[in-house]
Amino acid sequence: MRGHRSVRVLAVAAALLVLATACASTQPAGGSPTTGPVKGGTLVFAIWQEPATLAPNYGNQTITGIVNAVAVEGLLRTDTGGNYQPVLAKAVPTEKNGGVKISGDGKRMDVTYELQPDIKWSDGRPFTSADVKFTWEAWMKDPKVVSREGYEQIESIDTPNDLTVLVHYKTIYSPYLTRFGTIMPKHILEKVADISASDYGRKPLGTGPFVITDFKAGDSITVERNPNYRKKGQPYLDKIIFRSVPSREVAVAQLKAGEVQGMWNLIEAQLPDLEKDANIKLSITPAPGVERIEMNTAVNKDGTDPNSVHPVLGDINLRRALIYATPKQQIIDRLLFGKARVGSSPVSQGWAAPKGLTQESYDPKKSNELLDQAGWVKGGDGIRTKNGVRASVTITTTTGDQLRERVEQILADEYKQIGVELKISNMPSSVLLSASWAAGDPRKRGAFDLDMYSSTPAIDPHQTVNLRYHSKQIPYPGNGGNGQNYTRFKNPEADKAIDEAGSALDLEKRAAAYAKALTLLNDAAVCIWLYERSAIEAFRTNVSGYAGQVWDGITWNTEDWYMKGTAPSY
Amino acid sequence: MAGSAIAVPLPVAPQAVQRSQWRMAYERFRAHRPAVAAVVVLGALAALSAAAPLVSPYDATKVTLAEIYERPSLAHPFGTDALGRDLATRILYGGRVSLAVGVLAVTVAVTVGTLVGTMAGYYGRWVDSVLMRFVDMMYSFPRLFLLILFGVFFKGMTFGVIILVLGLLSWMTTSRLVRASFLSLKHREFVEAARCVGARDRRIIFRHILPNSLAPIIVAATLGVAGAIIAESTLSFLGLGIQPPTPSWGNMLKDAPTEMNIAPWTAVFPGLFIFLAVVSINFIGDGLRDALDPRHVVSRRG
Amino acid sequence: MNRYILRRLLQALPLLLGISVASFAILKAVPGGPLAAYEASPDITDEDIRRLEHAFGLDQPVPIQYLSWLGRFVVGDWGYSFVSHQPVLGLIGERLPNTVYLMGTVFVTVLVLAIPVGVLTAVKQYSWFDHVVTGSTFGFLSTPTFWLGLLLIIFFGLQLRWLPLGGMATPGAAFDLGDRLRHLILPVATISLVQLGSHVRYLRASMLETINQDYMRTARSKGLGERIVVLRHALKNAAIPLVTVVALDIPELFAGALVTEQIFGWPGMGRLFWDAATRLDYPILMGILAVSSTLIVLANLLADVVYGYLDPRIRYA
Repeated sequence: MRGHRSVRVLAVAAALLVLATACASTQPAGGSPTTGPVKGGTLVFAIWQEPATLAPNYGNQTITGIVNAVAVEGLLRTDTGGNYQPVLAKAVPTEKNGGVKISGDGKRMDVTYELQPDIKWSDGRPFTSADVKFTWEAWMKDPKVVSREGYEQIESIDTPNDLTVLVHYKTIYSPYLTRFGTIMPKHILEKVADISASDYGRKPLGTGPFVITDFKAGDSITVERNPNYRKKGQPYLDKIIFRSVPSREVAVAQLKAGEVQGMWNLIEAQLPDLEKDANIKLSITPAPGVERIEMNTAVNKDGTDPNSVHPVLGDINLRRALIYATPKQQIIDRLLFGKARVGSSPVSQGWAAPKGLTQESYDPKKSNELLDQAGWVKGGDGIRTKNGVRASVTITTTTGDQLRERVEQILADEYKQIGVELKISNMPSSVLLSASWAAGDPRKRGAFDLDMYSSTPAIDPHQTVNLRYHSKQIPYPGNGGNGQNYTRFKNPEADKAIDEAGSALDLEKRAAAYAKALTLLNDAAVCIWLYERSAIEAFRTNVSGYAGQVWDGITWNTEDWYMKGTAPSY
Repeated sequence: MAGSAIAVPLPVAPQAVQRSQWRMAYERFRAHRPAVAAVVVLGALAALSAAAPLVSPYDATKVTLAEIYERPSLAHPFGTDALGRDLATRILYGGRVSLAVGVLAVTVAVTVGTLVGTMAGYYGRWVDSVLMRFVDMMYSFPRLFLLILFGVFFKGMTFGVIILVLGLLSWMTTSRLVRASFLSLKHREFVEAARCVGARDRRIIFRHILPNSLAPIIVAATLGVAGAIIAESTLSFLGLGIQPPTPSWGNMLKDAPTEMNIAPWTAVFPGLFIFLAVVSINFIGDGLRDALDPRHVVSRRG
Repeated sequence: MNRYILRRLLQALPLLLGISVASFAILKAVPGGPLAAYEASPDITDEDIRRLEHAFGLDQPVPIQYLSWLGRFVVGDWGYSFVSHQPVLGLIGERLPNTVYLMGTVFVTVLVLAIPVGVLTAVKQYSWFDHVVTGSTFGFLSTPTFWLGLLLIIFFGLQLRWLPLGGMATPGAAFDLGDRLRHLILPVATISLVQLGSHVRYLRASMLETINQDYMRTARSKGLGERIVVLRHALKNAAIPLVTVVALDIPELFAGALVTEQIFGWPGMGRLFWDAATRLDYPILMGILAVSSTLIVLANLLADVVYGYLDPRIRYA
């Protein structure tokens, strides 16, 4: 899953962006190449989840970004190649073009954005540098904003004129391009006390190709052409209706019936059926999320001591045996219809993805050998024991996730074959993934054996890698439960590599350091990288202009979408 | 009652006569053909489930990824599921869980419900007030909501927990029905008469009133078993019931919405067995009601 | 009777208070919290999570959290969703009419059908009509609601394509009564068929019971026509258990519709509730619980009052 629009991406310095081109695959839009875009029409786009809020940075549902991207724009955005391109800014500020200036002591930086002239909010009011400053101030003031990442690194913002924004950072903040991905209108919100609870939460006003005109909770969100949009003659569509449907299955049925012209977020199992349908085209883009199983190396106990050793999973041979006994490719072939890639590290896309890093592939014979050698002896019930400890562990994932529950059952059966008992005990995501020590997240508190979920790093993976694999980030009572190193992986060399990667500016150096840390992580056999999925969307063949990309949702360029043939019949 | 000077016609007969009443009930039940057929069906279901390892050559949890979603055939009469497991085998094993959950949960519910309803209906006054406020309170929580929260609280339900939770969340209907019949019966002549002759509370309750409230309790209990089986499947449909890989008819249906198009048999057969079991239980309940209703013979005239 | 109603209403206040305390305690006993959704974002740091916990008051002791909720609740401030940040009262307000619309239709449909069918099956016990109805009510009772809904979707929506697969109306279209009705048919049928089964059964059972009571014989012996006996005497008494069932079904109509609303994508309270429950969005859950518990208290009172009217032997002290 990709993150919230304003939150979605942690990018890198512009000089490095060229490198990113290699890793993003582009799915060209469907439609006949001989005819140009057609104006007009209403596109009905099925969404099987409803955005709780449309206010940027007040939630992190993927669907929020999918919908509000049609109306709310930022200074920059990524293109299908993973490069930043200017939107409301004239150019992408870099050191080279003078947009970024490092202070004399090398400890601070200033970023200057020149804004495009004559841009109007959809209500006709001019967009100026004051709006950018207001957005920053509002997010720093409002405690209900979900993320202040990066923004709290900003000392102050100057607006020497209406079209210049000068951002003074307190530090060298290398993912600065990811910030200001959404801008809020000062003239609407400056007098509003509670932004997300106001009308803005449902109908955020922006500069994008469409205006959100109707929000019928649980039913539909209607957006209409923005008459003040900066690109002449665009958008092509008159209207998009985001239709809330109860499930992906209903969305597919409606797509096949032609009741909707596009739908968001399919799963692999739905592809064989749709690929046969001549009226439907698919947009399949690699997604940066990696499904993993984490193994707790410390004792499974609430408020665990990070230095304790798990009686079963503390043994690296047993952990490695579990990896050998995990039939990743079979799971992909059979449950994901071959439409995913075998995982090998937590960073799968972008410049930092370690090249050539692999993980033990399926070989249950090796598992048995390893366990035999390590002294785990099979008992009468087929389960191994060592020094009176039974090789029995429990796996936990989010309740109700069909694919994950099936994977669990496959693993339970596979692990039984090598003499390890795998019990299943799932929890709702609000419990398993609460990410809060106070709320009792079992991963934080160390009260789990194996957990299975997915996590998505950003273009700049530093935060993910540091937070999850640095030994300083092991949550325990002594540090107030900070950090997300849930496997309790400790390796001084890996720590050093992560620290290096975080302080360097040279991309190649950073990539090499991450590769080193992630190799050490795989050597410790604490995580099973199951598979990397794709973002899959589907459209009727008369829709064109869409283009899936790795780091942003499918609706990032709705101004280019158009529809041929008859207007939709609803 | 002995030694009573007043000749009051008591609808509830002494021991010997009552025993013959049970025999008559049995005769009447046997005459109820759908109920008898239902007993046969349900008995067969239960027996097959209990003997599952003897009946089926397959392992209910063994994954065979090469045999995913096979259509019904001779080797797999009901086809295979998303993990290549024999559906028929899983239904047999699932029957163990589902039937047991249904019966045991209702046993809990009827016991608690009868107890509460009796106390409230018979003693009235503050006992009634307190108990009925409690019932109101239990009722005012949407049941599914409590089930969901308990599912979360217990981190996925085990067999015992699900029985207890379903039972403790579904006794209220019984208690209200029992109370209602107590309210309408306790001022009846035969009860007043029994009280006049000095019968103790316990005797009045168990001898005179409860037997006369049996019909609604039985109706409620049969519906309860059906309800408990359905509640379990609903809970599992939401992912909070019996956890896989242990099959229950409920959790086998969890993936029905997504599988309906690809492999309808995975969605049809477990549902069919729920249907079959619950229909049988309902017919049995109906037969029992007719059989136990002492005014049954009269009712045939209506 | 009026004094009785007044007293019951006064009794309801501490009851509702008790319910709210219990609800809050249960919600708080459940591990996890509303901020879980944020964990997936690499942008949202531990500091962000702590700031949000503080902003929503989640870092305060539970009794304080409860009291501050209660204090605001009684003056009409139902709080704001932790997820959407929208006012709870508004969120419930926009979903309630949709559920009332769906469930009202169900309620009327079921009563209109259940009473004549229940009476007829009892009067004509063991006729072919009785057998067909009893058989099919058993059938529908024996089908899980979600299962029945799915079958109906598959059959009428996917195979025959007669009816829409979900939603309340065609999005983007102007108001059209026919369109509304077509969207209403499957969800109403799903819930009605199941409920009809239980209501017909109750009514039939108690009709049979009353038909054979002494006073019925008396009525008959007075020479009253069978139709009058059945309608005036039997039905009135037989309605007592039905009243219980119907009254007690009202809250189920709101929360129990959860599965149906979920399957049919009906934008009602059930779906709001499920979304809030899975995210542990306390303010919404408390708001919905307050609405539904008030409703049930009133429904109970209604049931008891109607009892008194239907069965004069019940005395109110």
